[in-house]
Formats: sequence, structure tokens, C-alpha cells
Amino acid sequence: MIQAEGLSKRFGDLKAVDRVSFEVRPGEIYGLLGPNGAGKTTTLSMIAGLLTPDEGRVAIDGIDLARDPIAVKTRLGVVPQEVALYEELSARENLRFWGGLYGLRGAPLSQAVEASLERVGLAPRANDRVRTFSGGMKRRLNLSLGLIHAPRALLLDEPTVGIDPQARAAILDLVRTIAAAGTAVLYTTHYLDEAETLCHRIGIVDHGRQLAEGTLDELKRLHGEGELITVRGPFEAAVARAWVAGDPTIEVVGAEAGTLVLAAKDGAAARVLGKLLDGGRPIDGVSIRPPSLNGLFLKLTGRELRD
Amino acid sequence: MGHLAVMVRKDLLRHWRSPLGPGLVLAFPLIFAGLIALTFGGNGGPPKVRLLVENRDDGLASRLALSALRDARMAQYFDVEEVAADAGLARIERGEASALLRIPAGFTDAILAGEPVTLELVRNPAERILPEIAEQSMTIGVEVLDAGVRALGPGLVGLRGAIAGDGWPSTETVAAIASAFQSSAQAVSELVFPPVIDLAVVRATGSEPEEPGSTFSTLFLIMLPGVAVWALFMVGDTGMRDLLTEARAGTLRRQLSAPLAVREIVAGKALATAALATISLALLACIGAFAARRPVDVVAFLTLSAALILAVTGFSAVVYGLARTERQGATLASIVLLVFAFLGGAFVPIDALPASLRLVSRLTPIAWGTIGYRSLLEHGAGLRGVLPSVLVLAGFGATLLVVGAWLLGRRAARGAAA
Repeated sequence: MIQAEGLSKRFGDLKAVDRVSFEVRPGEIYGLLGPNGAGKTTTLSMIAGLLTPDEGRVAIDGIDLARDPIAVKTRLGVVPQEVALYEELSARENLRFWGGLYGLRGAPLSQAVEASLERVGLAPRANDRVRTFSGGMKRRLNLSLGLIHAPRALLLDEPTVGIDPQARAAILDLVRTIAAAGTAVLYTTHYLDEAETLCHRIGIVDHGRQLAEGTLDELKRLHGEGELITVRGPFEAAVARAWVAGDPTIEVVGAEAGTLVLAAKDGAAARVLGKLLDGGRPIDGVSIRPPSLNGLFLKLTGRELRD
Repeated sequence: MGHLAVMVRKDLLRHWRSPLGPGLVLAFPLIFAGLIALTFGGNGGPPKVRLLVENRDDGLASRLALSALRDARMAQYFDVEEVAADAGLARIERGEASALLRIPAGFTDAILAGEPVTLELVRNPAERILPEIAEQSMTIGVEVLDAGVRALGPGLVGLRGAIAGDGWPSTETVAAIASAFQSSAQAVSELVFPPVIDLAVVRATGSEPEEPGSTFSTLFLIMLPGVAVWALFMVGDTGMRDLLTEARAGTLRRQLSAPLAVREIVAGKALATAALATISLALLACIGAFAARRPVDVVAFLTLSAALILAVTGFSAVVYGLARTERQGATLASIVLLVFAFLGGAFVPIDALPASLRLVSRLTPIAWGTIGYRSLLEHGAGLRGVLPSVLVLAGFGATLLVVGAWLLGRRAARGAAA
């Protein structure tokens, strides 16, 4: 349904997106995971037709965006990261406006508006001005504006940023419902747990490059399921690397002055830890993490996924 | 077309829900024109010249002159107060009067003797117009007095002898003076009666005799077209600025992800601005019609208004096509519109501007709008009368709208990339 092939975008000297490709199938939630500045929003903007790619191609429902942008945009729903609403208008008036832009008129528009209000639980506040809404309510309305025309593909750009856990859970449930109805959902986030619990497939991006792609299981299998050991102390990177050199059960994920990150395969973590601590090395602290998406991200990028 | 209607409806609804901005802009011309009319009009007719008189003569001639100044017709224009000798100058310096007339001692004697005598007029330097009126009036009065003295010369000499003598003059003396006056009067009568040249004051076509207390409404109507046209440009500024507000709020970017072309979004905003200006103009026109209470050529009014709205929309499109931020656009528009308003007759009538500025004022759309509406209101002009204003405003508006649409299209595309 959503096809991105070799998308690249440069802003001056900065290559914001570098040959990113993926496909989102009907009914699938595809998570684009990466830290802030990884190129997620730029990728989404190219798919939404807001930015023209320097290279690559976008197609929605088999229609090339460059050839027929209006037909593509008609099939596409976009929910931007910022809450883009008219605060002077009511929820119903906002929905009527955006529905009108997508060509809905008369009874179909009214039905779509009422259905949207019900779906996001805003029917009781439909005639209240948006400026009186809480942050969570605005987020839900923001989401419903992208759904008013029942799009076949939906782009969600970090739709849960800055809201409380309850509102976040409501939005995630809504996204699951939308996908279950057959809509292809492209979901960007920097929350690992959202990607783990919500997305059918995940693409990991950083510095504009696509580092990995697959289901959570596939990613773990592809990149090793071992535990991650982080060692801290007053040591040099080269010295630390030498401590585990030649051990086939250990992979050095990252090494810099004061921090050594290791991936231990098949239950080797305890043995490796004992070896490190017995040698009288300058180690101040050690942490062990079970296999997770965060660990995978750390392994792929050499750094934590954080804001 | 459907998209445009949806966008215009949305923008008008938003302005309706937050009416403070356009409302203040609309209220401004009424308040401004009202204040000007109250300040310079009020209900007491034209301002009077407050004239102080130091009468150091206290003779017959000076008393007659004072009586003449207090005559009912002169009292419409002069408020005369006799003050003690040497007291007048201090009051002039305090700004309590427009001019001080000093009648010297021996004035009556000199008049009766036919000798030269000088009246002194001190002008208040803090005022310009009223002292000028006093000076011009006194100059005419002195010339009339001088002519009278010359015409009645022999009679005045006899009168002086009769006044100067002790007791009542004899019957023969009075008869001699009367005879001298009659001879002098007969001598000049052919020159004076009837006047060869007379001045008849007539009113311009379409105007009605001014009723007492109508100065306020007259001044209000003189000021209203200029400030109303200025206000419409400010309303247009409010409407088009919204495009940058939407870019900041993210709603512009969202619209660009809908199945719309950039030109449709720009056209929608321009149409919404034009619609807002039309509503504002209709409100101002209703108020103007209520104040004027005179028929106006509807076709001419509608044509002129359409041209003005085109100019308003085009101007604001260029301003916000050039500006990078809302604040930058608002500042630019305020400065340009203030200059246009001054030159265009919003603060002072164009006719009152110096010749060089009158020429420059023709380069501003506000001037052409003001001229057009004043022609409609004051002179009852028809379509032909306002045609120059219509053509200039329409040309100005169409040109700027093309340029502005191109600039705004680039801005909207940048808004998408932001």
C-alpha cells in the first residue's frame, strides 16, 4: 500500500535521509523508530508530498506520488507531530473543514464527522471550542482529522508526544483499530515500548540511514539475541577492547573512554562478568540488560535511544 | 471552487469567533473620524476669533469702532473683550486670545482732524488661522474707515469743533455740520449706492444649506472616507497575515498534505481576505449612509468598492509574500499604510496638503479610494465621476495580486518544508 523506494533528501550539507526503502501493507502498522533528528519526519514529509525527494520514489496504492499527487493525497491521511488544529473552532467545525478539503459534502460529510467524533470519544464535547480541550483531547482530535476521509494509508508522526499515559493508551488502541480495518499505518516514534507493543514491523533509522528492518523477532534474530553488558570505569577504549579480545561469545558493541558495551551470546554474560571483575581491572560499575529493542538499537547505533 | 468555499467559510468563521482584531480595526475609523469632528466641529459652528481691545482713546471714534466690532453679524466671528491698557499683551502670552487691538490715545481727535493715525494689532504667535482672520478683518476695516474719513472730511472738521467747544453747539453749527455731511454723502453716493459689484454666495450642486449644529456630521463625513479606506487596508492586512499564522500553527502544512494545489490555498486565503474586507466595507458604508442621509449612486459605489477590495487584497498579498514572519509583515504593513494614510487624506484632506505632497499622494491607493468615496458622498458623483479611482485601484490591485500570489505561493511551499 505504502511504498518508499530509495528515498533521499539533503538540506545543504546535511543528508537528512539516505536511501530509505520500505513497504507498508494493508492492515499493517509499520514503525519507523529512531531518535530525534534521525530523519523520520523528513521521510514522512516526502511520503506525504510535502517535500520532494532528491532521489527515490513514493507510491500509494500503486499510484506514483510524483505523477499524480492529488490522487495519492486523496488516499492518504496525515497526522502531523504538532497539534495542527483551529482552536477558535469547535471539534465538529474542525472535522467539517478537513472533511471538506478531502471532497466530502452533505450527508456523507456529516456522517463522517459524527463517526469520527464517536471514534475518538469527543462526541460529548463536539461543539466546544478546541482551545478549551486538554492536551490528550487535542491529540485525539488531531488524529481524527487525518481519518475523516477514511484513507487507505495513514501517516502518524509521533502522535503520542507530550500526553499522559491514559491518553496515550487510548491513541494506541485507536491505531490498532484503524489498522485492523485494513488501513496501512506508517507510525514514527522514538518510544521503544510503542514500537515493541504496537508495530507489526519496525524500521530502525539513525542519521538518515535505515539500519535494520523486520518484525521484532526477526530483528532480534538477525542482530543477535544476547544480553547487553555495559561496563563503566576510568579506562581507555583500546585497553577495554583488549580485555575481551579473542572470546567468540563476546561482541564489542561500543567502546569509548570510560564505557565498554558488550553483547554476550547464549548465556555467556555471567562468565564474562566474572572474568572482568576477577582481573582487578579499574571497573566502577556494571549493568546487564536482557534482550530488547533498546538493546538492539544500542547494538546497531552504539548509543542509547533517548530524546 | 468547492475547496475555495470551504476555506473561505473556515476563515470567516474563525474571524467571527475571534472578532477582536478586525473589530478594533473597524471601530478605529469611526472613533478617529468622530474625534476629529468633535474636536474641530462640535455644535457651536465655526470657531470665533477672540479679540482683546485696549482702548486708550475712549473717544467717539474708538467707541464707534468697538460698537461696529460688537455688531450682531461681526459677533458671529469675533468675540470682543475690552481690557485695561497694558493688560492685553500678558493675556495674549497666556494664550487667552487670538489677537490684541490697540487703539492709541488721541485716535478720535486724529480721525476728526483728518490726520494720520496708527492702530496696532498684536497676533498670538501660538495660533495660525484665527490671528490671520483677525488681521485680514482689521485691514479691511481700517481701509473702510480710511475711505469714510476721507469722504466725510469737511463734516468731520466741523464735528470736531462742535465737540471740542464748551456747552451745547448752536443750532447754526449743527445745521452747518449736517449740511457738510449731506454734501459729502451726495458726492460719494454715485460711487457707493448701489454697489456696482456684489458678492452672492451660492452652494455647490447637491449640497444643502448647513443647519445649525451640522458641523460635526459634515466633518465626520469629510474624514470618514479617508480613515475608512485606511481601515480597510488594515482589515486586509489582518486577513492575509493569517497565512503566516497558519504556517506557524502547522495548519498550513496540514492543508498542503490534503489534495490541494498551493495556488488553491493562496487563492482561498486571498478570497477570505476579500470577503472580510467586503463585510467590513458594508458595515462602514451602512454607518456612512446613516450619517450622510443622502442618496448615493449604488452602481458607482459597488464598482468603486470592488476595485478597492482588489487593491486591499493585492497589497496585503505582496506584504505577506515579502515578510518572513507575522511580526515582520505587520510592522511593514503598519509603516507603509501610515504613510499612505497621511498622503491619502486619512488625517488631513488631500486639498490641504502642500502641492508637492498632493502630487505624491496620487501614488497611493488610499488617496484614490478617498477621492472616489468623497466624490460619491459630497458631490453625488456617478460611475463616470469615480471611474478614475476605479481604474487606478483595479490596476493597482490586479498587479499587486499577481505579484503577491507568486510570492505567497513560494511562502506556502516553504511552509510545507518547514
